[in-house]
Amino acid sequence: MSTKRISKELRDIERDPPTSCSAGPVGDDLYHWQASIMGPPDSPYAGGVFFLSIHFPTDYPFKPPKIAFTTKIYHPNINANGNICLDILKDQWSPALTLSKVLLSICSLLTDANPDDPLVPEIAHIYKTDRPKYETTAREWTKKYAV
Amino acid sequence: MTQMKLPATTISRNFIDNPNYEKEHSETNDSPNTSTFTLTDDIPNHRDSLINQDSEFEIEDFMYSDDDFEYDDDYNQTYDSMLTKPVKRSSKKELSEGAVPNLSYEILTTQDIFENMLARVDHLQPIFNMPREDILLLMQHYDWNEERLLENWTERMEELLVEIGVSQADVRPTDINVVKDTDEINTSETKIERGITYKEGFNCVICCEEKDTQTFSLECGHEYCIDCYRHYIEDKLHSGNVITCMDCTLALKNIDIDSIMGHNSSKKLMTSSIKSFVQKHNKNYRWCPYADCKCIIHLSDTSSLAEYTRLHYSPFVQCDTDHRFCFNCGFETHAPADCNVTNAWVKKAKKESDNLNWVMSHTKECPKCEVNIEKDGGCNHMKCSSCKYEFCWICEGDWAPHGKAFYQCTLYKNDENSKKTQNDELSKTMKKYTFYYRVFNEHEISAKLDWKLGQTIGSKVRALQEKMDVSWIEGQFLTDSIKILNEGRTALKWSFPVAFYSDASHNLTKIFVDNQSLLSKAVEDLSELLQIKEPEEIMKKRLEFYNKSGYVENRMYALMECGRDLLCKGICKPTDQIFK
Repeated sequence: MSTKRISKELRDIERDPPTSCSAGPVGDDLYHWQASIMGPPDSPYAGGVFFLSIHFPTDYPFKPPKIAFTTKIYHPNINANGNICLDILKDQWSPALTLSKVLLSICSLLTDANPDDPLVPEIAHIYKTDRPKYETTAREWTKKYAV
Repeated sequence: MTQMKLPATTISRNFIDNPNYEKEHSETNDSPNTSTFTLTDDIPNHRDSLINQDSEFEIEDFMYSDDDFEYDDDYNQTYDSMLTKPVKRSSKKELSEGAVPNLSYEILTTQDIFENMLARVDHLQPIFNMPREDILLLMQHYDWNEERLLENWTERMEELLVEIGVSQADVRPTDINVVKDTDEINTSETKIERGITYKEGFNCVICCEEKDTQTFSLECGHEYCIDCYRHYIEDKLHSGNVITCMDCTLALKNIDIDSIMGHNSSKKLMTSSIKSFVQKHNKNYRWCPYADCKCIIHLSDTSSLAEYTRLHYSPFVQCDTDHRFCFNCGFETHAPADCNVTNAWVKKAKKESDNLNWVMSHTKECPKCEVNIEKDGGCNHMKCSSCKYEFCWICEGDWAPHGKAFYQCTLYKNDENSKKTQNDELSKTMKKYTFYYRVFNEHEISAKLDWKLGQTIGSKVRALQEKMDVSWIEGQFLTDSIKILNEGRTALKWSFPVAFYSDASHNLTKIFVDNQSLLSKAVEDLSELLQIKEPEEIMKKRLEFYNKSGYVENRMYALMECGRDLLCKGICKPTDQIFK
């Protein structure tokens, strides 16, 4: 059942790719995808391309896909392992959501971080107290790892 | 080669490893103190018969008994006395005369609580002026906390309805992206009916299959095939939270859940919601800790609990299936020990058994001098740092026959090792602890055997009825005896932690120990008496049954009082300093 749904999402993404994102299966495995996100222009991640690995569970879409950044990124809600703290990837997941919507949410998370619910408290602290410092570091990391 | 001088002892692991006494744990199932065999079937279920007798008072009681409510005690007392449900009060005998206030509590099941919630919904209906189903959703969302609900309700009615999903926000299906290639959603229609319909060639956006199928949608128009909806709901039934449409916040009512999942499925959701309610209100509500027991004890007035603690009593309660446990700590009845002693003892036992386990799994005793040795690396050629004996780590045999050639030990014999005699180098306190732990355990094991014995009592009573023409009520002395035997055994068991933590040089401790041995003797005598199988013999010794169980009972209360005295006078102090 999940194969049909995933194939459908793949077709939709290919036909009408969301702006600034791309995604597709790695090799023949329909359940393992790779995606890339362009750093939003109004963010310190501008100019970078960030890669993500996506694993669909067998009971997709009733369970959320597992998504993690494979490119290093300096962000209060993304940790060193690339894990993302995003409600729709956890308890707020709904079967009506699609991968492209999730990718768009991740894009907007890059523009607007959520420092009140951080995954990396240190970065969140800097984000809240010394915004310019956060932006400089984020820009440096982007240049170093994502360009 | 590292040498460790840690004591090792074989400890039978049972109840102590499981200090939380988790409900799920099947181990507690055969817990010794269950007295389920005492003819529960014959006890009329007052609860069911009384449940709807006077709903007004029931509502009132629930209105004011919640701990989130502020009420004055007098008021609560008045309503307490008007409770329609049978209120159990701890018998005077359990607690010595007039020392602590009586503990009044009711025994409920999730079903009872749910029915009370429904009664509260009825009560709220005139205020909200909404269908009951909707009020149920509001209550569920607010974790059955009326006060908070009412507060928010008066402040922001409209928002609340949208937030909880009772009514729809002014948005049409937003997901153009997904919806656009299915023409199923007719947005031009003014009002979309909620419910199940049958569609031919329906294209479900969740599973992406096109088929003739039943579909379900709420007023929001997000329509999906019934299989997807079933899968979706099934996953959420155990969460206890309000289930919403997959694409918006509109909530599914119980009626919708039942129509999709089949009759009474919403009950599962309500039950899990009530479960989380009980867990959140653990000051007033407590699950019976015995496995598979569905009883919940509700204590509406918790003010007397402090008094119990102060006097070193424990608030023991008994559920409908005669499981007795402490409302304070959730353990089985542990008199004469109080909750502090119990906790200290259980924690210690857990810690020590962890230590002992570690010693047992990571060390071996030197085959010569029996000192415990930990191997922290290197080859299997061991040399005891204590007695210099050289041996093989694998087979624990002398190293000499292993020779100088490439190491090859095939002499693996594990069984013999475990039979090694226990280490003699126990420190004094450890010896003391091990002793008490062992007797505690022995009584636990005996209690389990007694419990098994108890299961045969039913047939013994039947045999009496058939062969000796004894009436059922006359045969009850057997059931009573086994019950007292169980109680006596439990008291005896829990007296050992008290003895362990008591100052041994004090006279009162000596009296306590004497009391222990008297009870121990009495319990063993009664236990022996209960082994008799022949009905004639049993009837002949009927008087003895009465006498011996009466004696056990008296000794038990004496021991409990003595133990409480030790605690009140500070002679028994549960500290870990006694043993380091």
